[in-house]
Amino acid sequence: MTTKNTAVTATDEFEHIPLWRVRLRLFSKSVRSNWALFIENRIGVVGLVVIVFFGLLALAQPIMMNTIWADEKGVFDPIGGHDITIAVHPSPPSARHLLGTDPLGRDVLSQLSFSTRYEFGLGLLAAVITVVIATTVGALAAFYGGIVDTVLMRLADLMIMVPFIAILIVLGALISVGMLELAIVIGILAGFGGTTIVIKSQALTVKVKPYIEAARVAGGSNAHIILRHMVPNLLPISLLYMMFIVTGAIFAEAVLSFFGLTEIEMSWGLMINVTQNFGYLLRFDAWYLLVPASLSITLLSAAFYLVGRALDEVVNPRLRRR
Amino acid sequence: MSEDNSNVLVKAEGLTKLFLVEKGIFSRSKSYIHAVDKINFEIYRGESLSLVGESGCGKTTTGKLLVRLHTPTDGHIYIRNYENELTDIAHRKGKSMKEFRRRVQMIFQDPFESLNPRRTIFDTVAEPLQVQGMGTYQEKEERVVALLERVGLTPASSFIFRFPHELSGGQRQRVAIARALIIDPIFVAADEPTSMLDVSIRTGVMNLMTELADEMGVSYLYITHDLAVARYMTERIAVMYLGKIVELAPTEDLLHRPQHPYTKALVSAVPVPDPRYNRKTIPIKGGISAPIDPPPRCRFYPRCPIADDFCRDNPHPPIEDKGGNHFVACYKV
Amino acid sequence: MAQALLSVEDLTMNYTTRKGDVSAVDKVSFSLAEGESIGIVGESGCGKTSIAISLLRLLPDNGHFRGGSVWLGDIDLLSLSEPDMNKVRWNRISMVFQAAMNALNPVYRVGDQIIEALNVHWGVVTREQGRDRVAQLFEMVGLDPPLMDRYPHEYSGGMRQRAIIAMALSCNPDIIIADEPTTALDVIVQDRILKQLRMIQDQLGMSMIYISHDIAVIAEVAERIGVMYAGRMAEIADSVSIFERPRHPYTYALMSAFPSITGEKHELFTIPGEPPDLLDPPTGCRFHPRCPNAIEICREQQPPLEEKHPNHFAACWNPMEVIQ
Repeated sequence: MTTKNTAVTATDEFEHIPLWRVRLRLFSKSVRSNWALFIENRIGVVGLVVIVFFGLLALAQPIMMNTIWADEKGVFDPIGGHDITIAVHPSPPSARHLLGTDPLGRDVLSQLSFSTRYEFGLGLLAAVITVVIATTVGALAAFYGGIVDTVLMRLADLMIMVPFIAILIVLGALISVGMLELAIVIGILAGFGGTTIVIKSQALTVKVKPYIEAARVAGGSNAHIILRHMVPNLLPISLLYMMFIVTGAIFAEAVLSFFGLTEIEMSWGLMINVTQNFGYLLRFDAWYLLVPASLSITLLSAAFYLVGRALDEVVNPRLRRR
Repeated sequence: MSEDNSNVLVKAEGLTKLFLVEKGIFSRSKSYIHAVDKINFEIYRGESLSLVGESGCGKTTTGKLLVRLHTPTDGHIYIRNYENELTDIAHRKGKSMKEFRRRVQMIFQDPFESLNPRRTIFDTVAEPLQVQGMGTYQEKEERVVALLERVGLTPASSFIFRFPHELSGGQRQRVAIARALIIDPIFVAADEPTSMLDVSIRTGVMNLMTELADEMGVSYLYITHDLAVARYMTERIAVMYLGKIVELAPTEDLLHRPQHPYTKALVSAVPVPDPRYNRKTIPIKGGISAPIDPPPRCRFYPRCPIADDFCRDNPHPPIEDKGGNHFVACYKV
Repeated sequence: MAQALLSVEDLTMNYTTRKGDVSAVDKVSFSLAEGESIGIVGESGCGKTSIAISLLRLLPDNGHFRGGSVWLGDIDLLSLSEPDMNKVRWNRISMVFQAAMNALNPVYRVGDQIIEALNVHWGVVTREQGRDRVAQLFEMVGLDPPLMDRYPHEYSGGMRQRAIIAMALSCNPDIIIADEPTTALDVIVQDRILKQLRMIQDQLGMSMIYISHDIAVIAEVAERIGVMYAGRMAEIADSVSIFERPRHPYTYALMSAFPSITGEKHELFTIPGEPPDLLDPPTGCRFHPRCPNAIEICREQQPPLEEKHPNHFAACWNPMEVIQ
């Protein structure tokens, strides 16, 4: 027994501790132990460092606009800016424009940094929507089975068959697709599709556990069993898939913006789109137009994927080396 | 059976559970596994009954029927209610069923799977109180602490907010026992509660269950494959074979004077922990198979050493008292 | 024991885990004579399966030998090269595994799997030779030879275990290690398989190592019994002696805790506490925290395995009195 280093001392007078504080303490304990597992994995740490880097980059833009660039907001504005002191745009990196300017005379660094927060917002919103839908649908389909299962799973099959990019192209023609709309569409498509099937299969293994039967013998309602027993056991795997969805969403946005199918004012995909529209896509001397945005897309997508892989090892003890 | 009903706590009458066998979508005919087939037994106040049999004989299904994890295909389950009347719960639903959930509980075999890994010991043990809406947080906590200490998890404060994976198998099974007993049930179906525990841990859990039965006035249906464990747990033993109870008798009587040919073979096959003991096996032929659409004759007929044409041509023998409360379902006894 | 076929001396092995080293087998010694059957009994985590896989050198990646030797005749198995060790496996020592369900590959016919094992370990055989050998083996373990053309899922649990035994016998080994061979089976089937194993052992004059948690099974099959606790051998003696006069308090407790359907219905003994955590085992005798006989020295020094009676060894500072 490992009684030595657990929180025995604190619980000795547990009668005076309100339940929420006990829960908070247990939660922080589990976060700490999972964190210890997570940081053992180099890949995950690399991913996390990259994510933190982009987080700082996202914060940098508004700060810069109000400090260094405060006097020249018209020059450094990522969407409407133009530097009239430079005769020819695009211009290569200089002390004034660290990553140069784009063909319209806008500062590339400002664009890159400005877009970052939207990429984060899009990815995380899409992922949250996906996971909420997938967990709900997966748990319900697994728990009720029968006709509920059949209907929901056929819907999932349908969503998988839908060509993802193609439907977004069609949608882009019908309505104006901004970041928010894009996140919702990606979330719904991914949520009803593959993620649901994965989570449902997990839910099926949870459903037959004896503790579910014990809850039923105690008189627990269906809602009690789903909310208190099934969902908590599905959340870790949901969290894991969230990371993969972020990757997918960022990538999808880049593709759509590149083809100019979205109404997004500024994004990494759009930066590449502008580069392409002005014919600089394969001009190696204008690398500063293409590289920052495409490298950012690659890095941030990869980072979330790597974090997902590391979380996978935390969630699935079988994958751990020891 | 012999005694009048005033002592009966739980009574199964013609209890039957058939499971549909999926034959594929093109097959018109339906096949059923006769998991539990018209069985009758009673459990009296203050006593427990063991249900013994090999895997696939329907003993777990019987346990799950009694606590209504399965709904019987046919038959009745009478359980004494708060007004001290025997009431049939075989087909109850909704609210009236939820009330009865306070009277019957179950303990499961696998201590590693029967506790939700993401809930604390407090959440698990207090769950029956919570779903039944009984007591404030303070009352629940006091009750959980008292019961944890009673089942040997002392000090309770060092266990109550732990998670199952921090406990050993024996400790987890004690938690499961506490969960089953927290709402003062009168009847608990215990499905092999000690079969996954090591010998040195097992005795403690067995003794605890026996003590708690006396203290809290609860009766067990003790489901096990191990006759030796059954001997120590209950006063009477019922032996099941392919969905039928073939013999039901007081424990020592059944172990020393088994009458049904299956029970004889079963008892003779149990290894004895004594190298000096010269055990004589009574062999029976063949193996156990799933009772899918079995013929109406005696279930044991294909393997029985004493079966004859009468057994072949007549339905499964009824279970009858052969003297001294020793019930046997066999024409040849 | 001069003519010992297998002799294990101070075998020590660890598992490295993220929390530290688990001392799974600690200085275990025993020997096995030709034609003898020895039973190793103990609770889960006592190291009995670790011993079995150590003898065959089938340790998982995180298992490491930390000392001792295993002598098969005059070869030290622990210092053999891997190819040489491969010749020992199956041909000289084979194993009947616990999980009969998983030991057979579901996509191949049972007979073909045994022929495959013959090809790998015994030298290449023709198909006819192989089938003849399988038929012979099947008859030995009580299976109908035509069954060799069936798939594992068509077998019942007992039949699968018989097939596993046939496979273990295929290369005429000198020693068979049976690790919980009947644990998943019902009593009637268990009884048949144990009888068959004993019969085969008699016929072929093989040595057997039975490993089980079930002291009743061990009592019925083994001539000599080793009782293990927390990675150490607590007591080893011939089976009648160990039942008549157990000297180690753990052996005594284990036997008194075991219910039987015969004899008087005695009070079942409860051993207080839980088996120790082998990441950080107790000092001295590993049983002392749970032992009713524990004295001062038990906490400090590990008791040596001493001969308490002729051929009756126990590792205890304060052994049980002999009750006549």
